[in-house]
Amino acid sequence: MSVWVYGEQKSELGLEGTITRKIEEDLYEVFIGPQHPGSGHMRIIIRIDGDIIVEADPDMGYVHRTMEKLAEGREWIKNVPLFERMAIQDACNVTVSYIIALERILDIEPPPRAKYLRTLLCEINRIAAHLYGFGIFGVFIGHSTMYMWSFADREVMVELAERLTGARLTHSYPIPGGARKDIPQDFPQAARKAVRYFRRRLEEYRKIFLDNPVTRKRLEGVGIIPKKIAAELGVVGPVARASGIKYDARLAEPYDAYDEVEFEVPVFEEGDALARAWVKFEEIKQSLRIIEQAVDWLERHPREAPIHDRFWAKSPPLWKKVFEAEGRVKLLPLMANMKLPPGRAMARSETARGEIIYYVESDGKSTPYRVRIVSPSARNAIVFKYIAPGYKVMDLPTIYGSIDYFPPEADR
Amino acid sequence: MPARPVVKRLPARRGLFAGFKGNVDAITIGLKYLVDPKRITLIYPNEYIKLDPGYRGFIVLEPKKCINCSSCARICPAAAMRMIRRMEEDPKTGKKKMKLWPVINYQRCIFCGYCVDVCPTEALYTVPYHDIVYENMAEMDWGLETFVKPPEYPTAKEGIPVKYIVDEEKGLVKVRAEEGEEE
Ligand code: SF4
Ligand code: SF4
Repeated sequence: MSVWVYGEQKSELGLEGTITRKIEEDLYEVFIGPQHPGSGHMRIIIRIDGDIIVEADPDMGYVHRTMEKLAEGREWIKNVPLFERMAIQDACNVTVSYIIALERILDIEPPPRAKYLRTLLCEINRIAAHLYGFGIFGVFIGHSTMYMWSFADREVMVELAERLTGARLTHSYPIPGGARKDIPQDFPQAARKAVRYFRRRLEEYRKIFLDNPVTRKRLEGVGIIPKKIAAELGVVGPVARASGIKYDARLAEPYDAYDEVEFEVPVFEEGDALARAWVKFEEIKQSLRIIEQAVDWLERHPREAPIHDRFWAKSPPLWKKVFEAEGRVKLLPLMANMKLPPGRAMARSETARGEIIYYVESDGKSTPYRVRIVSPSARNAIVFKYIAPGYKVMDLPTIYGSIDYFPPEADR
Repeated sequence: MPARPVVKRLPARRGLFAGFKGNVDAITIGLKYLVDPKRITLIYPNEYIKLDPGYRGFIVLEPKKCINCSSCARICPAAAMRMIRRMEEDPKTGKKKMKLWPVINYQRCIFCGYCVDVCPTEALYTVPYHDIVYENMAEMDWGLETFVKPPEYPTAKEGIPVKYIVDEEKGLVKVRAEEGEEE
């Protein structure tokens, strides 16, 4: 009697793709991770028949840090540096929606300048995170040139972020009601140079990686997620958009300055690893456009403190002096143990890997009653279970790299 | 709404010579950078990055400005800053009085800069460096004596200060810090 390990579930879901042949009972179980360099802090238990994966079981939780529970014991603003640690190369994107949720409870709206500043940093982070993803993806499939290139080019974005915020990665930039620092005087010039550099550089990326016949052979037709399945599995971000789902949190519910800047949300319909790589590639181009627009806007408008009046109007003169001299927004001491009115709010933002959702509940104390985080990687991890079977073991790094799974973010 | 989804297609790979052209393109680019490599490696510690003044490095206290208000310790998300009690003589009355002073533990600090931003009198400031080595963990827990003066920065004594500037052609370019100023 042969065991059709995966077949039934697969047909239940209506999954197509490579159908595995019937498996005899002697399957090999291979543990990929958590020490395997190609798995990150997670383990994928796969059962293989010859070279074909018949069952894949993502085993997550190796870097679980009880973030949601920790958040309940910390004052509102102190959670920003905590949540940042989910995805440090994407720090502003993962924390901005938490801040937006707090703003909804407080019923305040940040001034436009703060919105643009946050958007600017979000897009800088997005490019940095995509390049990070490309680098890991490249080295997974043995393309170490891509690894070196994208990590070196990511440094350009990290440098810009450092000039803007004063920290390379964990910026702790958004605060309730605004942002913490204005752009330095020479920032627009540097940002424009970086944008022009990337425009030219991406063409080289395309030639050496995306259009390289060797890479294409390994990516094309691997890990196909049909549109219907993508919707059923509930994947988000570039993974969903590569399968033809026109969904992006910036599009569905524009936050910050995203309803004012002009950009495209690239969608591909092929649904394979190559399409996922292309989505990210095209997104970098769009992020460059947003950076340009944000910098233009910031330059055109007068420099005024990018924070809501509630935290600024009554501040002492020293606050204004520091802002004028250094562009630094000083915080009122009440920020430390600010009490939020009772209430609940939900907010979402689009991180590099997909949509992150915060549900925040306050019972009127200076610490949250509950913070629930749904992170994009946690939603995308299911791809391993339903999509990997049927492909060769060799294709697993390709699938892993193309969904850009990031364990610290998924485990929280 | 200005943002719009745009359905794109993967570039087709048809024709007899498509694979050939792709290979040639990839190899040409590779050769280009073999001949003219783009290097940004920092030869540390012979060179070190001279960071901008806005960089959030080590934090130092100016005791003259401090009003002992504890705001910095209250906002610290990592519990790195804490207040210690000290008996001090009041210069006017000559009476002994208990005073609170902030001290910092660099085992815990995450350089978020909240304390600097929250201090009502700007008694805390950051120095633009953070690469200091300690022999043991206990040394990283600064007392008030250490906290009031900028830490020694040994790298600066030996190394050459460099700066990375954003360049249109090469992305980042490493220059000597003095030249970097004009950018
Ligand atoms: S920088 Fe942040 S972690 Fe460090 S002492 Fe200040 S508030 Fe605490
Ligand atoms: S916040 Fe500033 S003034 Fe208050 S205790 Fe800390 S260093 Fe001193």
